[in-house]
Amino acid sequence: MEWRWDFTFEILPRMLWATGNTLLAAGIGYLIALVVGLILMLGQRTPYRIVNFIVREVVEFIRSTPLLVQLFFVFFVAPQFGIKLTAWTSAMLTIGLHFGTYLSEVYRGALEGVPKAQWEACRALNFSTAYTYRRVVLPQAFPIALPGMGNYLVGIFKDTPLLATIGVAELMHTANALGAETYRYLEPYTMVGFIFLIISLPAAMGLRRLEAAVAKAQGKVKH
Amino acid sequence: MSSAFFAQADELSDRINAGEPIRLGFATAIPWAYPGDNGEPLGFVNALTLVVLEEMGITNYETSVNEWAGLIPGLQAKRYDIITGGMYILKSRCENINFSDPIGLFGDAMLVPAGNPKGIHNYQDVIKTSATLVTGAGFNTVEAAKKEGVPESQMMLVAGEVEILAAMNAGRADAAVQTFFGAKEHVDKSNGKFEVTDPADMPDWTKNWVGIGMRKSDPEFLAAFNEAMAKVIGGQKWMAATAPYGYTEFQLPGEDASTAFACANR
Amino acid sequence: MALRSCLIPFLQQLGDDVSYWGFFVEYAPKMASGAMTTAMVMGCSALLAAVISLIFGLMRLSQNWGVQAAATVYIEFFRGTSLLVQLYWIYYVLPLMGLTLSPFMSGVLALGLNFGAYGAEIVRGGVQSVPRGQWEAALALNMSPAQRMRRIIVPQTFTLILPPMANLTVELLKATALVALITVVDLMFVAKQINATTWLSAQVFGTALIIYYIMARFALIPFLRWLEVLAARKVGKA
Repeated sequence: MEWRWDFTFEILPRMLWATGNTLLAAGIGYLIALVVGLILMLGQRTPYRIVNFIVREVVEFIRSTPLLVQLFFVFFVAPQFGIKLTAWTSAMLTIGLHFGTYLSEVYRGALEGVPKAQWEACRALNFSTAYTYRRVVLPQAFPIALPGMGNYLVGIFKDTPLLATIGVAELMHTANALGAETYRYLEPYTMVGFIFLIISLPAAMGLRRLEAAVAKAQGKVKH
Repeated sequence: MSSAFFAQADELSDRINAGEPIRLGFATAIPWAYPGDNGEPLGFVNALTLVVLEEMGITNYETSVNEWAGLIPGLQAKRYDIITGGMYILKSRCENINFSDPIGLFGDAMLVPAGNPKGIHNYQDVIKTSATLVTGAGFNTVEAAKKEGVPESQMMLVAGEVEILAAMNAGRADAAVQTFFGAKEHVDKSNGKFEVTDPADMPDWTKNWVGIGMRKSDPEFLAAFNEAMAKVIGGQKWMAATAPYGYTEFQLPGEDASTAFACANR
Repeated sequence: MALRSCLIPFLQQLGDDVSYWGFFVEYAPKMASGAMTTAMVMGCSALLAAVISLIFGLMRLSQNWGVQAAATVYIEFFRGTSLLVQLYWIYYVLPLMGLTLSPFMSGVLALGLNFGAYGAEIVRGGVQSVPRGQWEAALALNMSPAQRMRRIIVPQTFTLILPPMANLTVELLKATALVALITVVDLMFVAKQINATTWLSAQVFGTALIIYYIMARFALIPFLRWLEVLAARKVGKA
């Protein structure tokens, strides 16, 4: 089977349009995950042991089951209970929840990375909890969390092809449709791989720089 | 087993002569073709194919269940030997695979919420009402909708019959277009939540003959299959095997039906 | 009000249809056989991924520029393109070039290649974090590079890389669900199939999720912890 350039250029506009959708899906999903992660992290730090325990178990459950199955669960089950969600909404909610559990771990790790002495000092100074978080803890925790947060942005991006299975018109969905219409799979699928590569390579490089910068900055603080 | 059957042998005939099972590829499309609990081939296209194969002396078979859009590439990749999914014989498909003689003539219809609130009976109604129309990737209806002028923005493509009903259940689309048989099945499953429109309201040219799909490289098997099918089509065994799925004599392809005509005109 | 309208169909669902127990009795055997396939896909691709991780992780550390570059290209390529894309490519495009692998093999290959690339980076990181003194001591003892790797560096690396490898293995188990999309009859495939005929979506996909959870939490993770303990003990003795 030979590569056909005329066909490649013919489908390029549709593929690029779908790339926009892929980026949009990753972006919205990520924003939801950032917020969900925060809620799930705080849910494990409440004064109520039982709440902490339940949230912890929920996080464990979502983290150790496949995103694909979760997508199908939300997609098929919600309507049965009278909850009408579009394919996009189901997808965004599921991605947000799934990756929110990962982000809650990132946040937790970052908070634990702030030395205990800082907390104690704040208590000694009689700062309120909110003030302690805002002015002392978060500014120190944020740089620690940054690389992990970036990692999951790339992670979400790479998982967006799964959304094709429930009918979100992103890149993979478009490649499937093109394949089904034209019976040519070589070009669409290869193009999807290529587009992913040219987006995720610079992203990964940027991440590595960020990581190095954070490590360096933290090194400075310690000295 | 049936070595006398194939004078000149192509790859598939060789496989069968060597005693290997013939592999049937289909998707989940009730009542056309779908797997039973243990992957056994159910649905009327599978049933009548088994009748023909039996006539050919072939009783050894395996099944492969796929997404609809993966059926033709799977056949070409030799993951299975024939497509029994119930495929319309269309020009674009004929360019890629061979079809047996027609096994029947079928039409499409719209699946709409009970009472048909938007009054959708065909593609033109979809355009007029700016409704969202759901159908399956790789379905003939994608091509048909395009030819009838339905804009891409009104089309929603999902993987297959199951996802079509899910989309309708969730109110993600205003209407679904699929085979009349498939739509009827969904009506039965939905307890009166949906209804199916009259297939006669659909454009006449979208009525299609269905054939069994085969690789271009297996012409001898195709010839032998057609020869055996001619003997059993419409016969007692054929009708008995397909009746439980709702196939009746009205679906028989008719005397002058030909795959060559469908390939050239559909 | 909204809550009521949500709850009523929910209760009806539980009431009219087959009770969950009835569902379970009827479909548990099928789902169990799907879960067995999932375990097999997981086992085979974990083995493949482990071998690839080791080879490409060490290649990344090679002094030879060509070897290192080859490993870098491999790793960046498979981490940069998405797993599902790789899976579809192997399943749909490779046959056009004359290589048709069975669905099972296609799945194992895609998973192995993809997770091998992630694993290679873990191996590289592990080897690099073995203290310099160990390398220098091995050099002083006149060990060949191969000997040094086998007897000094790799055993110490093992304890370092096992925890991140364990995380990766859980990710691998979850990723096996994708092979359902290329017709491998695994747990996800069976769930989709039951859903197609019964429309008991909550029961089907809910049960599938629980089975995946049990496989991860009560089988895979304890096994990996046991491996970690074993490795720590072995290295401690040495």
